[in-house]
Amino acid sequence: MTDLVLQALFSGLLVGSVYALVALGLALSFGAMRIINLAHGELVLLAAYCAYVVEGRLGLDPYLAIPLALLVVSAVCAVLFLMIDRIREHRELNSLILTFGVGIILTNAILLIFASDARTTASATLQDATSVGPVYAMNGEVVAFGVSLALMVALWWWLKTSWYGRAVRAVSSNRAAAKLMGISPVRTELVSFLVAGALASFAGVALYTMSVVQPALGHALTVKAFIVTVLAGVGSIPGVFLAAILLGVTEALTVTLASSALQELAGMVLFLLVLFLLPNGLFGARARRG
Amino acid sequence: MASLDSAPAVPLKAAPAKGRLPGGALLGLGLLVLAALPVLLGASNYLLGLLISALILSGVSLAWALLGNLGGMVSFGHAAFFGVGAYASALLAGKLGLPVLLTVPAGGLVAVVASLAMLPALRLSGPYFALAILAYAQIFRILATEASWLTGGGAGYQRYPGLPTVFGLDLASRTGSYLLLVACVTLCALAYLAVRRSPIGLALRAIADSEDATRVVGVNATLLKCLMLLLSAFITGVFGALNAHIIGFLEPDYAFSGVWSLMPIIAAIFGGYRTIAGPIGGAVIIYLFDQIVAKGLIAVGHQIILGFVLVAMVLAAPNGLLGLAKRGGRHA
Repeated sequence: MTDLVLQALFSGLLVGSVYALVALGLALSFGAMRIINLAHGELVLLAAYCAYVVEGRLGLDPYLAIPLALLVVSAVCAVLFLMIDRIREHRELNSLILTFGVGIILTNAILLIFASDARTTASATLQDATSVGPVYAMNGEVVAFGVSLALMVALWWWLKTSWYGRAVRAVSSNRAAAKLMGISPVRTELVSFLVAGALASFAGVALYTMSVVQPALGHALTVKAFIVTVLAGVGSIPGVFLAAILLGVTEALTVTLASSALQELAGMVLFLLVLFLLPNGLFGARARRG
Repeated sequence: MASLDSAPAVPLKAAPAKGRLPGGALLGLGLLVLAALPVLLGASNYLLGLLISALILSGVSLAWALLGNLGGMVSFGHAAFFGVGAYASALLAGKLGLPVLLTVPAGGLVAVVASLAMLPALRLSGPYFALAILAYAQIFRILATEASWLTGGGAGYQRYPGLPTVFGLDLASRTGSYLLLVACVTLCALAYLAVRRSPIGLALRAIADSEDATRVVGVNATLLKCLMLLLSAFITGVFGALNAHIIGFLEPDYAFSGVWSLMPIIAAIFGGYRTIAGPIGGAVIIYLFDQIVAKGLIAVGHQIILGFVLVAMVLAAPNGLLGLAKRGGRHA
């Protein structure tokens, strides 16, 4: 029993790191544009199916799909951005509905092209297990965890030190003031959107190599990313990481101790508890949610 | 109208809305009279069946638009209210043997209770509320699947009575169901109109203009928004219950299907969610288009066409077809 719980904790940690990538992408585009991209989960899904095409149809290593995924997802992101930028009235409400519509288009396009079958990597190397002390992990999971960690550090570094990173933070905190300092909000928004897309590309390929993907997953991922955001409170990168791991561990423990049908419910219950008891999130000091 | 004119305390930015009120109502009633025509002309059972489903959707779309327009909240989870209303009514009638005419409004009330669980989400403003309600909808589907001792679980639930015969009119027949739905949609449209014209409606429009300013004058904005959420949940629950008794079979994946969240959004945006006639007419057009045209073109994944319609409407005509018609009329 202890072994099972330890294993669940470990698996939760690994999958949580990918949830963190998805949630960070959602938070990044929200920070700069004040717009929640309801198609964000579908962007991740798109990247996962790029990996499927490269491995399943072309017979190459799934990691080679990363450039393709970056290209495809960035293109979709750019189109999405241009559409959002065209909205003039009731921007908040209309952009929600717009991105929701784009999510439906993407999910159904994937359904049309690839059918509703669940896909995962066929690579024996990636599916092989590595033992870490008493617990086991698929090689794919270990790689995904490492890449997620590296990307989070890179994102943190980019936001902290680069000119565009500072611009994104400036626009997030005060759009008008940033404009007065000579920062183009539109260009900054586009950059944050594309970076979010890049995170989604890596997350999608990671998900394909460590778990099972299917067309309905996109919507579920958006919900998960949102739950992580609420758990984390104000968007600090370590906060999002911890909240994502909490969600991953909760889900894994639910599957181990109760049933896999309740997996989604566990995340929701966690979400409700935090919403009722800690409206500022687990790591948020200030109330800044809207 | 008199109440509007005699209330100068809150400056109304939406002045043209005054002229729109009776127009929208007339158009809505006109549409419903038009909708009653198939019965008079003797339409086929197939067409009546389609129209019945379309009217169910009209009711839900109206409820969605009420929350969106008056409450200023976008809901991506009306499937929760729809499914809760359906299951509550079916279970009350099937397990406790209550008359269906009582269980249908009771289904609406249970949906209201379910919406109470969403009230903490009202703390989250704007886009976060939309996402929270998206998450909520999933909870109820899972609960209905897991509580199989009550709901029959994933295998479904079907031994419950259909609609009764009232005053010699068999409501379970296609014609009877159709007339009942026309009546219910009309009733909801009138209720919507009454709310919009009441002081509450005035306050809600002021909130939409400036929530802070409205709070300063002493309007409890959160309470009013709550009321809109409860009313919207009630209407959605009632139509979920009606649908359950008309089709006579429930399973969680159907009753809580994302379709019940998605279709009202498309219908209301398509028709014009700031009007009353828009969501009703939009639902009929969108549903018939989806069933007859889209499904014929693409069997699996026909919702992709609806997705394109939604995106195109938001970009080209965010006020819907009615808004477009009005703008065109003004230019002409």
